[in-house]
Amino acid sequence: MDETVAEFIKRTILKIPMTEMMTILKAWDFLPENQLQTVNFRQRKESLVQDLVLLCESKRASLRDAALLDIIYTQFHQHQKVWDVFQMSKEPGEDVDLFDMERFKSSFEKILRRALKNVTVSFRDAEENAVWIRIAWGTQYRKPNQYKPVYVVYYSQTPYAFTSFCHLKSNTPLLSQALTVASNHHKIVKMDLRSRYLDSLKAIVFKQYNQKFETHNSTMPLQETLELDMHMDSRIIHENKIEKERVQRVTQETFGDYPQPRLEFAQYKLETKFRSDFHGGILAERKEPLRCLIKFSSPHLLEALKSLAPAGIADAPLSPLLTCIPNKGMNYFKIRDK
Amino acid sequence: MEPATDPFVTPSTGLGSAALRQRPPSSGPTERPALLPGACRDEGGALSAAMFLYGGGAKHAGSDWFGFEGVDGGNSTLVCVSERRGVLAHLERLETQMSRSCKNLEDPPRETAESDLGTKIHKLRCLRDKLRAEVKQRQARIKASTANAEPDQTLEISEQEAVGGKEENMKAILQAYRFTGLSGKRTSRGVCVCISTAFEGNLLDSYFVDLVIQKPLRIHHHSVPVFIPLEEISAKYLQTNIQHFLFCLCEYLNAYAGRKYQADQLQRDFAAFLAGPLQRNSLCNLLSFTYKVEPQGRSFPFCARLLYKDLTTTLPTDVTITYQGTDASSTSWEEQRASHENLFFTKPLYQVFTSFARNGERLDMSLVS
Repeated sequence: MDETVAEFIKRTILKIPMTEMMTILKAWDFLPENQLQTVNFRQRKESLVQDLVLLCESKRASLRDAALLDIIYTQFHQHQKVWDVFQMSKEPGEDVDLFDMERFKSSFEKILRRALKNVTVSFRDAEENAVWIRIAWGTQYRKPNQYKPVYVVYYSQTPYAFTSFCHLKSNTPLLSQALTVASNHHKIVKMDLRSRYLDSLKAIVFKQYNQKFETHNSTMPLQETLELDMHMDSRIIHENKIEKERVQRVTQETFGDYPQPRLEFAQYKLETKFRSDFHGGILAERKEPLRCLIKFSSPHLLEALKSLAPAGIADAPLSPLLTCIPNKGMNYFKIRDK
Repeated sequence: MEPATDPFVTPSTGLGSAALRQRPPSSGPTERPALLPGACRDEGGALSAAMFLYGGGAKHAGSDWFGFEGVDGGNSTLVCVSERRGVLAHLERLETQMSRSCKNLEDPPRETAESDLGTKIHKLRCLRDKLRAEVKQRQARIKASTANAEPDQTLEISEQEAVGGKEENMKAILQAYRFTGLSGKRTSRGVCVCISTAFEGNLLDSYFVDLVIQKPLRIHHHSVPVFIPLEEISAKYLQTNIQHFLFCLCEYLNAYAGRKYQADQLQRDFAAFLAGPLQRNSLCNLLSFTYKVEPQGRSFPFCARLLYKDLTTTLPTDVTITYQGTDASSTSWEEQRASHENLFFTKPLYQVFTSFARNGERLDMSLVS
């Protein structure tokens, strides 16, 4: 086994937390069960890793096997990467898409290799007809850097692909081309949507975040009456009960009853003229637009926005710039004067 | 009359020998204090049964002073103890006097009280009987009145039951409507359409489309999978012919559900016939697999590639079967291959593989017989 491969496997296994070690190794399925039983999992991590690497050497692990382990680790730790979304489109009136996964994989790899000799491409099938692709980029003269790979997640016969953030922007056009051609599309465009949570991005672009529907079979009415807490002391009087109920109603109409998809920020780039009510201010009456960047950050941005009006921090209804985020599938905005 | 029997007092005649608590000689009252009215000396006065005795330093040598708590409690007086005998005797006399007077008091009232109580009991018993009789009368009256009123009440109940029953019936019919495949429910903004898919008598997933009834009819949200061409269908028919839109969508979804069901069933129930994994895609319109006619057979497997170019059908439009055995050119295998192709074209997957299984049984039977 190559030294670089051994080092790569060692560093990958070292990243795995002890609680997940068994699960990930079993998912990898490279070291058989009986061999894993012989290893002492209670020893210190460094010595455990050494034992495992020795086992891999004895089984002659290749770069392909090591790359597969890396994919599995990333699948378990999706949130460590920031994911972008690409949208592809076809010409209208095209034939039915007969997507063949094997053809897609070979076509994708061929396109990359034709352009760049030094590249490692690995695939792993995932649930629901999705495929995880791992690409380690090299250059014309250098071997691929296995420690800075790019991941692509693609669901067959959909126009969307999710890619992990890539530091080397120069390879993005090649990647886009490979994706488009291999999946029988014509155009590809990067969406202004970015998040750590792959599931939330999927829910937003596949429009799966609102899955509550009214049927005759449901026993509880969907729109439950929003009561203010009736168990409170009778000596407490809600002074603005009507206003509170209005705010609740408007919030529910805008955000719905369903759990919001998880985003960490929304960024607004303003290039508009400054408008103010006061005349003769410093910023008023300037010909050039005011450039500023507004960023909202939160561990769960959409839930935070949903709670703004009920908490009394903002007026209801909220600005459509904030509420349109899941509908439009954007959390990067550029606002210019019309 | 022996003072020695008194538990409170120990006889003594001198200073310092009393077992009583003794107040030390104080600078307090040095002369014999005046007795309060009602207090006792050795003569006269009633005493309360509880006496608090303490000795006191006295001017009178050779005598112990005692203080008594009077009947009104709190008043204590000091009495010279030198006339102790007299006091105790007096107490005894008083005690007997009291017990005698109590007896006198008790006897006459007892008799009168008894007779009084007896009459009272008698009176109460009469009252009780009277009240019981009245209660019975009232109950009988109520029963009579309810008996008259019952026919009306039962009529009301049956009407209510009838209406309730009809409502239940209607609800059940509305719920059962989903078995027709296309049903809907009015919402505040429009209608929520439910498309329930089925394949060969098996009820499969339901998909929803929530429509907003406005001037351009639009879809609010839906649960249709992203690979079904919903945008295309709605662009063509939603505004012009909503019926066609719904039927078209039904077709696509039912066909998809049918293909998915066949692929799932093949993987689940006929895994023994598959020599490798089943390759499929999201729409289940391309299936690629290798299979054997006999699960344990030594024969070479066939490779099948099924294409469903028409997304509204559950049977393939293209079937390619290849045989990879060494005797590929032999006519028997060619015949088998052609017959398999025909089977895949015309029958759903599970029927094809069931017929393989049956053929295998028939072969076994022929060998046995």
